[in-house]
Amino acid sequence: MKPRRALKIFGVLAVLVSPLAMGQTGATSQTGSQVKPQKLSASAIQIEPIEVGDISIPAEFRYAIYERLIERVRKDGTFQKVFRSGDHDAANVADLVTLRTTVGKFKEGSQLRRELTTVSGGTTVDVTTTVAARDGHVLLESDLSGKVRFFGENLGVTNDLAKRIAKLLQQRF
Amino acid sequence: MRYLLASAIIVVIIAGVPTLPAQSLAAGSGTTGAPAPLMVRHIIGLENISSQKSGTLTVQNGAMQFSGGKSVAKVPATAIDAIFVGTETTQAGGKVARVVKTASMAAPYESGKVFSLLMRTKVDILTISYRDTGGALHAAIFALPIGQATDMRTQLVAAGAHEGGAQELKERAQP
Repeated sequence: MKPRRALKIFGVLAVLVSPLAMGQTGATSQTGSQVKPQKLSASAIQIEPIEVGDISIPAEFRYAIYERLIERVRKDGTFQKVFRSGDHDAANVADLVTLRTTVGKFKEGSQLRRELTTVSGGTTVDVTTTVAARDGHVLLESDLSGKVRFFGENLGVTNDLAKRIAKLLQQRF
Repeated sequence: MRYLLASAIIVVIIAGVPTLPAQSLAAGSGTTGAPAPLMVRHIIGLENISSQKSGTLTVQNGAMQFSGGKSVAKVPATAIDAIFVGTETTQAGGKVARVVKTASMAAPYESGKVFSLLMRTKVDILTISYRDTGGALHAAIFALPIGQATDMRTQLVAAGAHEGGAQELKERAQP
């Protein structure tokens, strides 16, 4: 009697667990496909200045993001050529892509508060990064944010953000 | 005894802070007739000049010139299409102070944080944007002693630079 009862319990459990297991594998494969998106291809990129819309952000932050982005993307070597905004030479490149960055939110913190409290005074900047082909077709769009939480001056946020954008480009190109 | 020693070290360091190089550089305004070269810190933007490099910023022969040791960068004033002036509170004392502050983190009862309070300084941030001969947009950002950026902007405008950021300055000045 007892072995038969154990067999029943095992059977019920197997029926209950098997769809869950199948669902799990399905979900995993789905997530897997999201993690590895198709690689894009371009030999050159043109970096446009930061667009701010109606967000109040000091000029030094805007231009520092632009300059650090150029520095980072050149250093990473993802593209054979990195053009600045307005560069006439970019007109001759067939597979040129354009990087545009729009600021969505900016919060200027305080270096002193950061160092004294270690929990407040952080500087953050949230942006939307778009990479478009020559015909205007958007190839990549992503929301990213740069932060300075502990040490360093507020302008350090531009370095953090540029690093993240350059990393995204490296992953997708 | 150990705490006494640590405290003594902190006191000695604090006493030495005003003599640190970057502090003495900050007072760059001369008293003689000719304008003294302005000591600045290059934050980013100039080609072949490393970030955080200290040097002199002058306007001569119609160009803005940054000289940091052997490296020199020139930007023709007429190529400058916008000048922005801002302020930032940052750490005084340069690299030496940064090392001292990091070392002071080991001091007991978080007493090293006193450095953060003492080693504060306000600087002007001068941002210029310009285009090279190929039309490419560049920007250069400098940290100047407080109150000096406006003078530098005036000199640049007199040399032929365009003051594109004037409207933004007015907006930022309003509360």
